[in-house]
Amino acid sequence: MSVARIGGAPLPLRRKKMMPPVIRGLLWAGIGFLVINCLVAYVLDPGYGTPFITQPSVVFGWLAALAGWLLGIGGLENVLLPAFGISVPTVEVPGWRRYFGYSTNHKVIGIQYLVSSTAGFFIAGLAAMFMRIQLMGNHMWFFPYAGQYIETVGIHGTIMMFSVGTVALVGGLGNYVIPMMIGSNSSAFPRMSALSVWFVPAGIMTVILSPLLGQWTTGWRGYEPLAQNDPNGILFYYLGVFALTLSSLLVSINLTSTILFKRAKGLTWNRLPMYAWGILTVSLLNIIWLPEIELTFVLAILDRVVPLPFFTAVGSPMTYLELFWLFGHPEVYIIVVPAFAIWMEIIPVMARKPLFAREWGIIGLIFVMLLSGLVWAHHMFTNMRLTEMLPFSFFTEMISIPTGFAYMVVIGTIWRSRFRLTVPSLFVLMSMFNFLIGGMTGVFLADPVINLQLHDTFFVVAHFHFTVIGGMVFTWLAAMYYWLPKFSGRIYNSKMGILGAIWVFIGFDGAFGLMFIQGLRGMNRWVPVYPPYLQGLNIIISIFAFVLGLGFLFNLIHVVWAMKSGKKVQENPWQSKTLEWQTASPPEEESFAAAPVITGSFYDYEDTDGTYTIPTAPDPVSM
Amino acid sequence: MAELLTFGVLWVVFSVLGELGVSAWGHDFYFYTASTQALDGVNASVFLFRFLTPIFVFVVLMLLYIPIRARRRSNESVLRGKGARFNATYVTIWVTLSLAVNLLFFVHPTTSAAEQLFQEMSPQATQNALVVDVVARQWEWYFSYPQYGIKNALNANGNNVLYLPVNRPVKFVLRSYDPNHPYALGEDVIHSFWIPAFGEKMDVIPGETRIMVATPTKIASTETNPEMRVQCAEVCGPGHPYMYATVHVVSNSAFQQWVSQQLKAGN
Ligand code: HEM
Ligand SMILES: [Cu+2]
Ligand SMILES: [Cu+2]
Repeated sequence: MSVARIGGAPLPLRRKKMMPPVIRGLLWAGIGFLVINCLVAYVLDPGYGTPFITQPSVVFGWLAALAGWLLGIGGLENVLLPAFGISVPTVEVPGWRRYFGYSTNHKVIGIQYLVSSTAGFFIAGLAAMFMRIQLMGNHMWFFPYAGQYIETVGIHGTIMMFSVGTVALVGGLGNYVIPMMIGSNSSAFPRMSALSVWFVPAGIMTVILSPLLGQWTTGWRGYEPLAQNDPNGILFYYLGVFALTLSSLLVSINLTSTILFKRAKGLTWNRLPMYAWGILTVSLLNIIWLPEIELTFVLAILDRVVPLPFFTAVGSPMTYLELFWLFGHPEVYIIVVPAFAIWMEIIPVMARKPLFAREWGIIGLIFVMLLSGLVWAHHMFTNMRLTEMLPFSFFTEMISIPTGFAYMVVIGTIWRSRFRLTVPSLFVLMSMFNFLIGGMTGVFLADPVINLQLHDTFFVVAHFHFTVIGGMVFTWLAAMYYWLPKFSGRIYNSKMGILGAIWVFIGFDGAFGLMFIQGLRGMNRWVPVYPPYLQGLNIIISIFAFVLGLGFLFNLIHVVWAMKSGKKVQENPWQSKTLEWQTASPPEEESFAAAPVITGSFYDYEDTDGTYTIPTAPDPVSM
Repeated sequence: MAELLTFGVLWVVFSVLGELGVSAWGHDFYFYTASTQALDGVNASVFLFRFLTPIFVFVVLMLLYIPIRARRRSNESVLRGKGARFNATYVTIWVTLSLAVNLLFFVHPTTSAAEQLFQEMSPQATQNALVVDVVARQWEWYFSYPQYGIKNALNANGNNVLYLPVNRPVKFVLRSYDPNHPYALGEDVIHSFWIPAFGEKMDVIPGETRIMVATPTKIASTETNPEMRVQCAEVCGPGHPYMYATVHVVSNSAFQQWVSQQLKAGN
């Protein structure tokens, strides 16, 4: 029984069973788009011959669709109406359905983010498979036209970067784990968070649908003035990335506030877990740089739609490049900083030894964050003035020092410990190995003279996949296996886990290791056709890439299977001391029945430490 | 102590093997080099390889050897591992060494090689260079030789072609516009002028003029080695993969002959 009220006057009762939120969101998005699009295209700003879709109409129509989607998904009852003082009683839908609607529970939101990211990963991964199929031949054969291949590259890169790289470890695991890790039952802005997650599917869909508006061939960087020169698909690139980055920005504002203001009693800065430090630093990067790229994209849209030739030859093409990389380099650290933090989170637990040189680990994260704003133009050695090269080269080389601290901390922690070589530890070690290769090849790229040869070749493609897949995706897998008992109260199958790890390792290092060589032999980027001498190696790379794709699928199936029907385990199977493990597995609606009080460090594994009781029974799950 | 010793021995052995590999293959890092600039790049790379090899071996050994050595036997208590929370010597050595190596790299080869390149590109060094005006449009390269009056170099099939004499510095003057529609300024995009065998590339930016200098050192052509080709390296639209041109580096006399042929053909 519910009564909506405006200023005390009872309104007639009209509560029917609500449509499934996702369906209603889609419906309202469609209606919003049609209404606003037609309004602009036929009434406000009709184009020559009054086409159904014009550049302005599609931009405004998209904004209306996004609004319709967010309201339909539950924003109407939970955010918009309450903002006007109208309270609408909402019914919690039980079971799996709550994951397909508006929920303020940070654990539900975390899973929603993780599922969206995983979907993005496999959609963009399928695009990568298509690319690798095309590259097995040296002429057009799988894609009819070269432009379609290049567009696929762009869609692959865009979805991977903005819905996977930036999202999985922050919006996904961050939302799920961080509030529990700092002893809070909720994040700081749960309602904002409940809506922010729904930007992700909207953004992914927008990028996927971009070919409807016309081909865009700029790749994920949207380089000007090519972007102005291409057909209209690029508009959906701007808008899709806009939605995705907005989501990450809201996540960061939420998680920063959560860490700052919602920590449990006794959780001082000295005791803050490493993952929370990672999320804090990455959130600062997001808060600084995401608005920068969003405004750049607003400029690019104005450039195209009005048009205002900011970035063409009569304006300044270089300005767009600078603005893009000003964000673009921090972006790659946005992707790996949480991964570094997860290494330092998992390893002491598996080593059962105090985290070695913890302060240096934190200093490393912070300096990586600071320096990452000073290196952007190393993406532009081939088009900057000679005199500008050296400063950027300098900071690029220097950033490897704080990055190295993460290695120092992890290795120091394992040294003379009792290390449990479990599936999560295996993935962390693999991730560190692969990121090491990414970093070492980065030293070559940081040298301008060498860069002039390697830039825009497959050497660079290999380098950044080693940092992103090697650093972030392997760590994401480590984290999924590590927190799997937390999500589900169940554990993976060790043999399958090891098989999965070795499988993706072989596929990955084979495919991308050979890409270094391919780049050095003169294979450049964004080409579906290439001179015949490059074909043999490309076929081998493609085969490894298919192995890799299947390996990811295998791990996905294994994790999902383990969540549903893996072996049940005790609440804290790793005997970890961080707070998220002191709750039930899977956690209750309210993670902590009573607010926890912290009296010691999370990373001290002393026999005499009385803060937590640690079971002495042999660990049932490690191999 | 014994642990440290084993580790040290393994480290030295694998580093020496690695260095032998660098000596054997390091100079082939670019696969094919045909200009002094490419050689500068290869030399810088070999220097980096020399120092990075022991570092790489060190970290990889750490990631393999230490976890295996520290591995918990299944019958051991899970309670706690031994080991320090901090070790001033280890941290000091790590931080100092990583700082030192990076500063070294910045001085040499980064700055030294860059200064060398700047020197090669300076106006003094290119006074007597062959000037080639390169114009990039979607999706074609045009080459003209203002010193010889060649307005648009073409081969017998009417395709754009680049001919260069060996051992003479060439100054490429790079611009992006469409010579057939020079008024349509808003139409031009960024391209990148790359000859893989020359070991360098330079972006061609609409509205700006860029310079690239190269001194070819080998007589070769696209037919003899496919790395000797002009390839657009920056994505510039659907025609980007097709934006290449053939290159011929020839002897001085052959070049003169080619020039007179081009002039006779009215190019
Ligand atoms: C599933 C395994 C993957 C394979 C086989 C793969 C393969 C490729 C290939 C072949 C290219 C095209 C290079 C070119 O022609 O320029 C590419 C580009 C790219 N990939 Fe991946 N990739 C994979 C996963 C990822 C992941 C996980 C990320 C990031 C999270 C990522 C980010 C990118 C980016 C940013 C580009 C550049 C796109 C552009 O040039 O605009 N990839 N990838
Ligand atoms: Cu081009
Ligand atoms: Cu191009």
